[in-house]
Amino acid sequence: MIEVRGLKKQFEGKEVLKGVDLEIYDNETLVILGPSGQGKTVMIKSMIRLMEPDGGEIYFDGEDIRKLNRRELEDFRKKIAYVFQNSALFDFLDVRENLALFLRMHKKLKEDEIEEKIVKALSFVGLNDDVLDKYPEELSGGMKKRVAIARAMIKEPKYIFYDEPTTGLDKKNAELVSNLIMVLKEKVSATSIIVTHDIELMEKVSDRVALLKDGKIIFIGKKEEISDETLEYLYSIGDTYEV
Amino acid sequence: MLDRKFFENLGEKGINFFTAVYEIFLLFIDSLKAIPKIWFYRRQLVEQMYNFSAKTLPIAAIISIFVGLGSTVQGTYQSSSLIPRYVVVNVIFKSTVIELSPVILALVLAGKLGASLAAEIGSMKISEQIEALETMSLDPVGFLIMPRVIAGLIMLPVITIFANFLAIFSSFFVSTVVSQWVTAHEFINGLKMDYKSFEIIFGCMVKPSVYGFFIALIGSYFGLKTKGGAKGVGESSTLAVVVSAIMIVIFDYYLGELLL
Ligand SMILES: Nc1ncnc2c1ncn2[C@@H]1O[C@H](COP(=O)(O)OP(=O)(O)OP(=O)(O)O)[C@@H](O)[C@H]1O
Ligand SMILES: [Mg+2]
Repeated sequence: MIEVRGLKKQFEGKEVLKGVDLEIYDNETLVILGPSGQGKTVMIKSMIRLMEPDGGEIYFDGEDIRKLNRRELEDFRKKIAYVFQNSALFDFLDVRENLALFLRMHKKLKEDEIEEKIVKALSFVGLNDDVLDKYPEELSGGMKKRVAIARAMIKEPKYIFYDEPTTGLDKKNAELVSNLIMVLKEKVSATSIIVTHDIELMEKVSDRVALLKDGKIIFIGKKEEISDETLEYLYSIGDTYEV
Repeated sequence: MLDRKFFENLGEKGINFFTAVYEIFLLFIDSLKAIPKIWFYRRQLVEQMYNFSAKTLPIAAIISIFVGLGSTVQGTYQSSSLIPRYVVVNVIFKSTVIELSPVILALVLAGKLGASLAAEIGSMKISEQIEALETMSLDPVGFLIMPRVIAGLIMLPVITIFANFLAIFSSFFVSTVVSQWVTAHEFINGLKMDYKSFEIIFGCMVKPSVYGFFIALIGSYFGLKTKGGAKGVGESSTLAVVVSAIMIVIFDYYLGELLL
């Protein structure tokens, strides 16, 4: 379970997060919606201290994340995975090594065990073995995203964060990715936290929905509980983004 | 009005300069702290040692051969009949091996390695790859910076020794075979004259390792500071080259002053 209380973050005097309160239950898929530039990325990065928060408390399974030193933080991050907005595959490594990196550095596995896990993860996201020797620059946006998801699942994380997993993908790829998110959740029984402004994705995968506006969570609950008014607002931000 | 703006800008630049120096120093401390994990990051270290050597050897060879030729031609031209020729050879030898070849090589490698380092790390920064390393429980300084700094520290002397051999050989070739200005025997005597191994160690190992250290550390620093898009990456690599080149010439003077 993740508990966030009064999370604050500012950049040069500009308050982006003004006190975010959030509870995320185990094994749920929480979709956090918000228009572009509202601080969705800043929020999830602050939760795992990729950015240092300016105030507030963050607990993962009761552990106070803001108190961890660098070593403890490294240990904590072994149980989380993060799928970046633009995939963030390591461009100096081929797909195989991108997938292998975590296992190589942190698990004592034999070469063939690593290879087996890589091939499995890759086939899970619907890619063939022949991309293994390719470098990220040789992949399309959709393929990169799928490799990024494979790289996340290979960690067998307890928590997976997705930053706009469908943004910038065509309809077919977006659908594929949202299916992957659903299946992956069952497979590794992880808690998924997704930030997006893609309403379709939200309707498809969410157990609960949160809405980020003006630096605060203004709604959290089941998607059926969203008022018509809010829903209209959501569609309006979805539309403005598409243009 | 204009004056005031000028001084304000100057003040701001000064402050930026000192924060940069301070931050580079902090990065150095962080890299030191990562050294205990060197076995954990051994793959990265080996890769960087390879990058720093194999990819720079061709340039180093061209530069050093021509530095050797150039200083020989200049030295023989300036020499007068009052000075024995082996003494001139000795002057050429020492100025090349201790001063010219290490410094010119370091300046060129500051351009090649420093710029590519800053661009590489800078583009990782703006595409969230540095953060991706962190989510993989890897320390970006341990994974990226420390191996590069150590590779610079170790491999620049290796390249310089190689380069100095080529420089001496090309000098030998042009003065004994091409122009036949001295005999091979005189040339060797010139090399042996007033030989101090400390000087050679200073020129081939001490200076290059300091330069290699600066090239790697400064390149990494500007890479990590990259902001914005492709333009930011370009700015970082330019800054990396300029600043490390300045450091190299400054330290060339102070190291000589201090140790010789
Ligand atoms: N490193 C930074 N330095 C300064 N300002 C920043 C930084 N990162 C984010 N911001 C600011 O914080 C605000 C929120 O940014 P964020 O990237 O979190 O938005 P977002 O909701 O993820 O938007 P998008 O949907 O476009 O990804 C923006 O106004 C942005 O300018
Ligand atoms: Mg974002």
